[in-house]
Amino acid sequence: MPKIGVLIETENQAIKQINHGLLTAARGQGNEVVAFVLEAVSDKAAHQAAQYGAATLVQVSADSGDVLSSPDLCARALARAAQEYGVDGLAGLATAQGRDIFARLAADLDLPLASDALEVDFAGQTAIKSHFSGKAMATVTLSGRLMLATLRPNAVAPVQDAVQITAAEYTATGIGQARVRRTSIQKSSQEQMDLTEAPVIITGGRPIGSPENYTILKDCARVLNAAVGASRAAVDAGFAPHAMQVGQTGKTVSPNLYIACGVSGAVQHFAGMKTAKIIVGINTDKDAPIFEKCDYGIVGDMFEVIPILTQVLKETQNR
Amino acid sequence: MDGYLIGKSFIMLAALGGAFGLFFVRIRHLYNIMMSVQGGAGACLAPVGERVREAVFDVLGQRNVRRKKMAGWAHTLIFFGFLAVQPHSLALMVQGICPAFEPGAVIPGLYSVYLFVSDALAPLVLVGLAVALYRRTVIKPAYLTMGRDANLIIMFTAVIIITFILINALQTVLPVEAGKFSYKGVFPVSGLVALALGLGGLDSATARIFWELVYFIHIFTILGFLIYIPGSKHLHLIAAVPNVFLKPLTREKAIEKSDLEDETADTFGLTNISQISRKQVLDLYACTECGRCQEQCPADFTGKPLSPKALVHDLKEDLFAQAEPLLAKDYDKVLPIFRDNSAVFGDVIWSCTTCRACEDICPVNIAHLDFIFELRKQRVLMESDFPPEMIETFTSLENQSNPWGFAADTRADWCRDMDVPLMADTPDADILWFVGCAGSFDDKGKKVSQAMARVLKKAGVNFAILGPEESCNGDMARRAGNEYLAQMLIQQNIDVFAQYNPKKILTGCPHCYNVIKNEYPAFGASYEVVSHLELIAQLFDQGRLTVGSGQAEKITFHDSCYYGRWNGIFQAPRDVLARICGSTNLKELARSGDKGFCCGAGGARMFMEETIGTRINSERAAEVVASGAGTVATACPFCATMLIDGLMAAGADTKVADIVQLVDKATDKPVVL
Repeated sequence: MPKIGVLIETENQAIKQINHGLLTAARGQGNEVVAFVLEAVSDKAAHQAAQYGAATLVQVSADSGDVLSSPDLCARALARAAQEYGVDGLAGLATAQGRDIFARLAADLDLPLASDALEVDFAGQTAIKSHFSGKAMATVTLSGRLMLATLRPNAVAPVQDAVQITAAEYTATGIGQARVRRTSIQKSSQEQMDLTEAPVIITGGRPIGSPENYTILKDCARVLNAAVGASRAAVDAGFAPHAMQVGQTGKTVSPNLYIACGVSGAVQHFAGMKTAKIIVGINTDKDAPIFEKCDYGIVGDMFEVIPILTQVLKETQNR
Repeated sequence: MDGYLIGKSFIMLAALGGAFGLFFVRIRHLYNIMMSVQGGAGACLAPVGERVREAVFDVLGQRNVRRKKMAGWAHTLIFFGFLAVQPHSLALMVQGICPAFEPGAVIPGLYSVYLFVSDALAPLVLVGLAVALYRRTVIKPAYLTMGRDANLIIMFTAVIIITFILINALQTVLPVEAGKFSYKGVFPVSGLVALALGLGGLDSATARIFWELVYFIHIFTILGFLIYIPGSKHLHLIAAVPNVFLKPLTREKAIEKSDLEDETADTFGLTNISQISRKQVLDLYACTECGRCQEQCPADFTGKPLSPKALVHDLKEDLFAQAEPLLAKDYDKVLPIFRDNSAVFGDVIWSCTTCRACEDICPVNIAHLDFIFELRKQRVLMESDFPPEMIETFTSLENQSNPWGFAADTRADWCRDMDVPLMADTPDADILWFVGCAGSFDDKGKKVSQAMARVLKKAGVNFAILGPEESCNGDMARRAGNEYLAQMLIQQNIDVFAQYNPKKILTGCPHCYNVIKNEYPAFGASYEVVSHLELIAQLFDQGRLTVGSGQAEKITFHDSCYYGRWNGIFQAPRDVLARICGSTNLKELARSGDKGFCCGAGGARMFMEETIGTRINSERAAEVVASGAGTVATACPFCATMLIDGLMAAGADTKVADIVQLVDKATDKPVVL
């Protein structure tokens, strides 16, 4: 059974949700998955990794410094760990962290890397990549003893397949000092998850009327584990910060589910979310362009619809 | 007395020699700077006849200056009055050196007439200056630069004119020497001043002393002014006339094509001030900071850091700051325009909507935008420094040939059930309709395109579209400084055009119109281009369209900058609207025609965030609401979007519709010919 290593992204000792798809992809047709983490994680997190098929959870460190705050040290430690555990492939997420580490890893190991892949097949050493904004799909074959790939977040839908998990630790020695060190992290004022990573997004347009009214969307977002976005009109009106703006001049997002509330769906907005897998439009104006683009449309007032939706979702979850 | 005259001769000789010498040295310095720049001539003298005629209208006719009524008339009075006193002042200077010099003795008749006219015009300068002072002390418009420079110039001029009148007044009471020209009766105004001041009561010795005193004040003020001019904004006195003479003779213009294939080029766009053309140096010299550009500028009006006046001023300052290496032709030592603490920085050049109101209103024809376009090119091509929002737009233009990134092969989806022919199927169509990105992908734009297709069919026009063969016209990339991407898009379209060699190209968007008509020729593609406004007006004139149901509601029209100021299409939309709703129902906006206020979307601003100051579209929307019209007609998809957003933010229910949509609604079924 091939062994596949994955670099799991953590936050405050918890495993980020976007790793579920990565674990699913790594598991493929019955691969054994070794999950590498760069910090100690909670038992709950380990359980979570097990739910998606990680057989081993290895906390990787280096004797010469903190791997979490140094991408080059991390790359070298990870290379050693991959060797130690004898993995046949190594995958991560095409996120800021993943892109940074895997590029270094590929250079250190002198191996080809399939970056930002939509699908990976470790057995065949192939990956599918999107080119020209999705106009063309390329299947690339990688040569080399170890297949390296980064997977686009949300590209593979997570599927549970629980296994028994063993926790371990690995400390790399003799890999030199860190040459790049992260000295501080400045977070944006947003408390929510990054829009570009969110699997579900609820966006409020201008009819939201005030910054406070976003609460109804946030309540719903909490139940759906979604991020809250805003249209340009809402941002311009001062109801939401620019960091929340989805659209041509804001964030370009591609969630699995996009719920547009009171958003007309003008081209400037649509350009930023047109790659969403499922679009739901909620608008009082039945002629709004959003209804020509959405998969499901609700003609109605979001102030009525959303609380009902939140209520129903809560009940479904509690059941 | 003879001793005095000899002394005076020496003093005057020294003063005139010194002042004119210094003036010459300073002008030569400015001239040398102009001749040291690397950007070539930037203008040509041909056709001389037309240029002379234009310059006569603009300079002697003061045509452009008077587009602003009060200040314009004040300028005209000052201009002619000041000009009128100069020959006599010059004669007085020569007389100071050589007392025997007396033009009045040589040509008494002509000189009397001249003196009469100049004396009559001189006091009008004071009227003009009074208006100037009133503006500067009471009205204080924000677009005027207040400061010592302007005040000194007003003071210099006032002293010169007052002393001129006093010299003339005293002249009338001085005894006429035998055989010399008599000044009696040639001064209509000064004669009255002499009467009013009771100068006739002075004995001739006292009058002479006063005359000499005023004479020296007059001459030395002129000489002081002469030395002051080259270092002040009044350099305008010297540079404005040649700048007007060299102005572009057509309204239409193109962004200069950068030779991206030139492997020897170190830089693209404008990096250093040394790279501008000689005509552009003259542009900088010609500005007198009248502020009309700033008054019209939508960016300045809404609190952005861009003022066209300040830009020209700052570039002029930079030119002078870099004079030393420039004159030494040590171009490597010339500092870049974009540097720490530079007055010209990112938000300055990116705030421009390229609406061209500044260039249109400038009385001395300064081309502000040419600086901005080249600076943007430099930022994008050399430094990759541009508003981050544009990354997505650039990528989409590159990959899908439209700014939003919709799949390029869906370009003709808007007309799927409309039986609109493709050029590929009907290559002999009379008109190739270039639909444009907004008309193809934007939901509002698609409705406009559908209306356009119906109107063309009603009128029996034999047209076809390119469909997926069409690419973005390149305007946006070009105006955003991405010359490389723009040229790529332009080339794609040109290659497609070449397949069909269309007889005529119709555009539904002013940006497509402008770039295809005025900028494609530089790439070797010259076609007849017609705007949808002109075509519709023609179809009405030819009787191929007739109005069925007139609309009684009040309509206003928002001029798009690129059909309007860039191409002078002002009348056609108004004619069409008058046909639809009746001329009495057509309400002009407070700012319209060549003074129309931009929607805020031009120059690729449509795809950038507007985070500084107030929003341009909100200002325009407020004007639309104030017009009381139920519908605002537009001619550009971007204007429509900006106005819809602005009106929505204002909570107004004014409808926004492209003219062609109104035409579609108002016209009958096909007329059988």
